[in-house]
Amino acid sequence: MQSKVGLASEPLIEASGLTKQFGSVQALMNLNLRVMPSEIYGLLGPNGAGKTTTIKTILGLLEPTSGWIKVGGFDPAVNPIEVKSKIGYVAENPIVYDSLSPRDFLEFVASIRKTDQTCTNRLVTQLASAFDMANYFDSPIATLSLGMKQKVAIIAALIHQPLVLLLDEPLNGLDAKSSRIVKELVSFHAEKGGAVLFSTHIMEVAEQVCTRIGIIDQGKVIAEGTLSQLKGKTEGKGSSLEEVFLKLTHEEDEVADTTRMLREIILKNEVS
Amino acid sequence: MKLAEAWYLSRIPYKEVVYRSIADEKGRMWWGAFGQKHSGKEDQSDSELTKKALKIAKFDKIIVAIFSVVVSAVPFFSSFFGAAAHSLVSSAVLSIAVTFGLTTLYAIQTLSSFVNTESSVLLSTLPVARDDFSLITLFSFLRSVDYIVVSSILSQVVLTAYLSASLLATLVMFIASVISAVFATTAALWFSRVFQKNLLRGGRSRANTVLRLAFILMWGFLLVVVGFLFSIPLYIVPNLEQMMLGGGNVPSILLSLLFPFSPGIVIGATVYSNVPLTTASMASVATVGYGLFAVLAGKWSLGTVKRISQGSGVKIAREIAKDFSVKTRSPLLGYVFKDVKIASRNPATAFFFALPALETVLITLIISSFELLKTTVVLISASMGGLFVLLLPLALLSAEGRGFEYTKTLPVSSRKITVAKALVSTATYIPVPMALICLSLIKPFASISSIFIPLLMIGAVTSASVFEVKIFLGSAARGKIAAVVNDLEKLVVGGFTVLAPIVAYSVVFLKSFDHVLSILAMGGTVLAEITVAFYILRLTGCDSKNT
Repeated sequence: MQSKVGLASEPLIEASGLTKQFGSVQALMNLNLRVMPSEIYGLLGPNGAGKTTTIKTILGLLEPTSGWIKVGGFDPAVNPIEVKSKIGYVAENPIVYDSLSPRDFLEFVASIRKTDQTCTNRLVTQLASAFDMANYFDSPIATLSLGMKQKVAIIAALIHQPLVLLLDEPLNGLDAKSSRIVKELVSFHAEKGGAVLFSTHIMEVAEQVCTRIGIIDQGKVIAEGTLSQLKGKTEGKGSSLEEVFLKLTHEEDEVADTTRMLREIILKNEVS
Repeated sequence: MKLAEAWYLSRIPYKEVVYRSIADEKGRMWWGAFGQKHSGKEDQSDSELTKKALKIAKFDKIIVAIFSVVVSAVPFFSSFFGAAAHSLVSSAVLSIAVTFGLTTLYAIQTLSSFVNTESSVLLSTLPVARDDFSLITLFSFLRSVDYIVVSSILSQVVLTAYLSASLLATLVMFIASVISAVFATTAALWFSRVFQKNLLRGGRSRANTVLRLAFILMWGFLLVVVGFLFSIPLYIVPNLEQMMLGGGNVPSILLSLLFPFSPGIVIGATVYSNVPLTTASMASVATVGYGLFAVLAGKWSLGTVKRISQGSGVKIAREIAKDFSVKTRSPLLGYVFKDVKIASRNPATAFFFALPALETVLITLIISSFELLKTTVVLISASMGGLFVLLLPLALLSAEGRGFEYTKTLPVSSRKITVAKALVSTATYIPVPMALICLSLIKPFASISSIFIPLLMIGAVTSASVFEVKIFLGSAARGKIAAVVNDLEKLVVGGFTVLAPIVAYSVVFLKSFDHVLSILAMGGTVLAEITVAFYILRLTGCDSKNT
C-alpha cells in the first residue's frame, strides 16, 4: 500500500452533489458517495444508471458539471496526478495497447507509476502465476481473450499497491478460479486499510464481496447500506439482493410484465 | 448473390475497416478529455463519432484521389513543355511508378485494419453462403482503394490518349495502369498480412524484430523513391528516355523487361517509328508476362481475402514465459520505450523510423556528383531530413490509438508525453548529422563551419516536434474531431520551425558571404525556437496540474 491509512474516520473517496450532463442527457444527478478505509463499496444499478460515469468522474477522466470529489483528500480537478497516483483502476472493457505484450504493458505502467523494481517483480510474478499467464505473458495483447486482457488490467491496477481501487465490472470474462482470486485480492486490499469502489451487475458478487452497497438509478444513489439494511428498506419482502434491487429500482412489476409477455411470444410463435 | 447486392452489403465491413483505421489506430477521438482542464467534449455519442469518422474517411479518400490525379499527371508535363523528343514513354513509366507507390502506401494505411479478421465479424454470423461472404469481403477491400485507383487510371489514360492520339497506345496504358493497381493492392495486402502475422507470433524473438525492421526499411525506401521520382520528373525524363530507347544497348534491354518500363516502351512503339524492333518486341512480351503475373497476383489476393473472411491462415504461437520479470524505468523513459514499441509494430506508422537511414542514402546520391560537400547540399540535406522527421510526432500520436484511454488513468502529465514524443523524433533525426559527418570524411565540407548546420538542426527538430504535439493536444482539448483534421496546421508550423534556421542562414550569407556569421544567425534562430518550446513546456507544466 502506498501509505498506511492514518485517519480511519476520513473517507478515502468522497463525492458530494455530483452532477454530470452529456448534452441533453443527465448522467449523474446530485450524487453523494463516501467510501471509508477498509470498506468495499458495491455500486449497483441498471444499465445506463451512471455507474461508469461515477467511476470515471472520481478518476478525473470526466469533469463534473457541478459538485466536488475528494480522493485521499485530493480533488481530481485540481490535483489529477496525485489522485491518479492513489488509484488503481480496472475498466469495464479492458482497453490497453493491443500491440504490446502484457510484459511490455506492465513495464510501461510500472515505469509511469515509479514503482520499485524488486517489489514490482515480486508482485507481478505472484499475480501472473496465480492467473496462469505463462503462456500469454509475451504475446500481443490483441491476441488475448477478454478474460486474459482483464487479468492484465487487474495486475496493472495493483502494481503500485494503491490506496483506492476503482473496479468497473472487474470480473468480466474471468473464469471461476480467477474470479475467486480477484475477490480475495479485493478483500486483502480492504484488510490492509484500502478502499474499494466495486461496480457490478452481478448481485451474488456484490453480496459476497461488498461490505456496503449503494444502488444507483438515473444518476442518483437511491439506497445505501449493508445488505441487511437494504433488505430492511424493502420491508423484508426481498430475500435476495436481486429482489431488493428490483424493488428499489421499481423494476419488479416491469420485469414480471415483460417476462409474461415474452413467454407468450416465444411459446406461441413457431420458430421459422 | 448478385454482384450489386454484394457490393451494397460490402459497405458494412468496409465501414468497420475505416472506423478501425481512423478510430482504433489513429485513436484521436479518444484524446478528448485529456488536454487542458479536462475540457475535451465527451458529449458526442458513439454513433455521431462513427458518422464523423466515415465522413472524414470519405474526405480523405477524395483528397488522396485528387492528389493521385495530380501525381499521375505531373510526369506528363515534360511532354507539354517538350522536354524530350519522345518523352511520352518515360512520362508514362514515371506516372505508373509513382501511382504504384502512392496506391501501395495508401492501401497499407487501411489494410492493417482489414487483415484483422474481426472486421468481417458483423457479417460472419449471418446466414450468408461462404462464397458470397468472400465476395462481400473482397468488395469491402476494394472499396478502400477504389477512388485512388479509378482516378489515377483515368488521368493516365486520358493524358496518354491526348498526347498520343493513338487508340492502341491508350489501350496499352489502360492495361498497364490496371496491372499497376493490381500489383499495388497485392503488395499492400501481402505486406500488411506478413506484418500482422509477424506481430501475432508474439514472443521475445529478435528474428521477428529484425524481420519487421527489414519490412520497415523496404517500405520506407519505396516512399523515398516515390518522393524522389515525383520531385524531379523534369530532370529524369530526358535521360530515361534516351536510356530506354537506345537500340540494342544493355540498359535498354534490361529496362524493356522491367515493369513499368516495358509497357512504357510498348506505348512508345505504337506512337513513334524509331523505337528499335528488338526493344519493342521484348517489351511487348514482358508486358504480356506482367499481365499474366497480375492475374496470378489477383488470384492470390482473392484467396487471401477469402482466408481473411473465413478467419483462417492466422497462426498464433504461444511462447511460455521463462519468468515474469518486468523492467522499470523512469516515467519519461518508460513512455519513450512504449512509444517506440507501439509505433514500430504498426505497419501504418513503422516506416517513419526508417526515414533517417534512407535520408542518408539520399544524401549519398545527391553528393555523389560533387567533389566537395557544398554548404547548399548540407543545407538541403539537413532540412530534408528534418522535414521527414516531422511526420514522426504525428505518427506517434496516431499510434497511441484507443490505448490512450488507459494512459489517461495514469499519473502522467501532458508535458511528459510531449517531451517523450519530441525525444523520439529527435533521436530519429540524429543519424542525419552523423551521416553527414561520416560523408565529410570522404568528401570534405566546402566550409568547415557547415558541420554546425546539421547539429543546430537537431534543436530545430526538437522544437518543431514540441510545437506539433502541443498543437495536437490543444486541438484535442477543444473537440475530438477537430484533432483529426488539423494535420496540415501541425505540419505547416513544424515545417516553418525546421526551415526558419535554414532561411536565416541563407539570408545572412547572401548579405555577408560569411559562413561564420550565417552559422551564428542560424544558431540564434534555433535558440529562439528552443526558448519558445521550453516556455510552452513550462506552461504545460502548470497545466499538468489540470491534466
